[in-house]
Amino acid sequence: MYRKINFVILFLSFFLIIPATAPDAGKVRVKHLTSITGNKETGRFNLLGGVFFDENKKRLYFTDTTNSRILAFDADFKYVSEFTAGGALSSPTSIVKNSKGKFFVAEPAKGKILAIDIGEKSVKPIDFSAVSGANPVYAGNMAVDSEDRLYIVDKANQRILLFDSDLKFEREIPVEGSRRLMDVKVDRAGRIYALNTIDGSICVYNSKGNLLLRFGTRGTDKDEFNFPTSLAIDRKGLIYVTDQHKNKVLVFNNNGRFLFAFSQLGWREGRLHRPSFIYINNSGQIFIVDRANTRISVFE
Amino acid sequence: MPKMPKVKNYTFLFYLIFFVVFLLSMTSAYGANATDTKVGFKKCIECHPKIQQEMSQKRRHEPFKKYQCSSCHNPHTSKHEYLVRDEIGTLCKSCHKGKKRSFDKKYSHPPFEEGECLKCHSPHSSKNPKLLTARGEQLCFGCHADKEMFSKKNEHDPARKGNCLGCHSHHTSDYEELVEKSPERICVTCHTVTEKSHLNYPVQGADCMSCHNPHGSNRSKLIKKNSHKPFAGKKCTKCHNPAGSADPLGMKSKGISVCTTCHPSVKEDFRKINTHVGEGVFCTNCHSPHASDGAHLKKAKEKKICTACHQDTKKRLKDKNNKYKHPLVMEGKCTVCHRPHGSDIELLFRTDEISACVDCHKKHVSFTHPVGKSTIDPRSNGEITCSTCHNLMGSPNDFALRFDHKKQLCIQCHKGY
Repeated sequence: MYRKINFVILFLSFFLIIPATAPDAGKVRVKHLTSITGNKETGRFNLLGGVFFDENKKRLYFTDTTNSRILAFDADFKYVSEFTAGGALSSPTSIVKNSKGKFFVAEPAKGKILAIDIGEKSVKPIDFSAVSGANPVYAGNMAVDSEDRLYIVDKANQRILLFDSDLKFEREIPVEGSRRLMDVKVDRAGRIYALNTIDGSICVYNSKGNLLLRFGTRGTDKDEFNFPTSLAIDRKGLIYVTDQHKNKVLVFNNNGRFLFAFSQLGWREGRLHRPSFIYINNSGQIFIVDRANTRISVFE
Repeated sequence: MPKMPKVKNYTFLFYLIFFVVFLLSMTSAYGANATDTKVGFKKCIECHPKIQQEMSQKRRHEPFKKYQCSSCHNPHTSKHEYLVRDEIGTLCKSCHKGKKRSFDKKYSHPPFEEGECLKCHSPHSSKNPKLLTARGEQLCFGCHADKEMFSKKNEHDPARKGNCLGCHSHHTSDYEELVEKSPERICVTCHTVTEKSHLNYPVQGADCMSCHNPHGSNRSKLIKKNSHKPFAGKKCTKCHNPAGSADPLGMKSKGISVCTTCHPSVKEDFRKINTHVGEGVFCTNCHSPHASDGAHLKKAKEKKICTACHQDTKKRLKDKNNKYKHPLVMEGKCTVCHRPHGSDIELLFRTDEISACVDCHKKHVSFTHPVGKSTIDPRSNGEITCSTCHNLMGSPNDFALRFDHKKQLCIQCHKGY
């Protein structure tokens, strides 16, 4: 009889306990790949802004804000070139590129988003005249979707501005009930993710701008934000959030359930010090602007 | 005689052992409560005779009354002072869990939040209710000793009488300043707000503390010390719609243009890489549009305004392990180093970080480790600055260093030693 009971317990253990640990076993393992730092070739980096990875050209671009330039690296993270748009760049922060090869660079200090067409050698500010609002637009981070629509964080009006592929103002998505809208990203399905720093919330909207999900609070628990700064979505739909005060990246599933966090405060490679921006490319490489360490930390 | 099945034997044995163990544990526990405590207490007062005097007080803590010293103290060892079993806050809350939600509100009294129960309560006995260490306002004024605040020409009656709990809650509250009710409701408990006394504006339901100091003021009607010019001149229509209009409390223009129309230079402050730009009339996030006791019409003390959002700094400031903090941080003078509106320098510094430090620490220049653009942190390839080694917001190490300078600091970079 006891042998039978033992067998049943063993059988149940196998089917109940082992699967319970499965998510851990199958957990997304994040490891540090490399760090991009200033050197003799690139010169010293200064205050770093945003990152964008061009999937067509396999190029990594990021802004070196207070050096007034954009830096380009290849897929092996070898330096390619720097770009100043003929001196048109002043303090570039966020950067994105559409499928036609046009760059969009935020210049918040000038209250502008510059549309840079390298082929045509043109640098033109996006026309905000059709955008109304209580305050003049203060452009923050940006995102581009698969149809080349441009999404711009307007910090001064707590909303996301949406421009079509011809750069005509389409509509706005107010991010209501939150404070300090900081970042926006769009996933493959066209869902729009907005990150609010002061109340530590993430709002997920469908492509029509209807709120689908809202989660996150500020606090000290492992699943709470201390000072969230940026977010990114990977191919599996997992949401990665950089926290400037925790010096970590917190990862949530698409229902907003906390899964795990990685990295910690530090100066050595693989550690973070005031991470300010995150971007994930189609290959699953995670690019983090490790601001106080003045480098781009790459994980995968 | 047929043998009993083996399984039943085991079951019987299990229940028998369980019953015996249960009986023994109950007996020993009862014995400990009934007699051993008094014996234990006698042992305690052999060395702690003053405790006996505390026992004579009228109001005694329940475990103390029952001679249960060991319910809070470990007679042998503890890592806490007075051999208490746990940190004071945790120890108290293990019994005093509070009524549902009463301990779980948005705002907490700092000693309560930090588990410093003994700042207000006596652990053994007291002549005051709730085992308070002092009576009524004397207890509050023990910490809130800002004489200036409570010695004004005109004083609010409850403040003058020391009836602090007339408006404030002692542990937690859903409202700022631990007031019992929302700012819109607290004053109307005693006062009737009329339009006539507010230049015909319908201010019922407004936050009275936007103009009045609830403790006292040298100005009549308890109006706060510094007034916004239009407010002082009773020119409400500089910012608001006229009193008789459909939306009298509405603003005359949109967003911060209400402010920048008269303060145009502020616009430039916000045209920076890092700013405190926000939604709507975001100036009022930090400034009062009517009256304030602070300079620049600040809504509250600088430290309070800043740490309302910068919670990490607040946490560091409160952390008892962080013995070393920059004096300016302690005094809450954030804007000596940081620009409150915007800056092109990281963390909204006024000047580059090294210059900001050297401005005061002039002697340090002669003996410091090399810093600046020509020195590179080998760990990150970044520039070495003052904050590479110091964390001014709080550190457990001397000189607010990030690591212990006798053991860990230098070898972070100088590996060969």
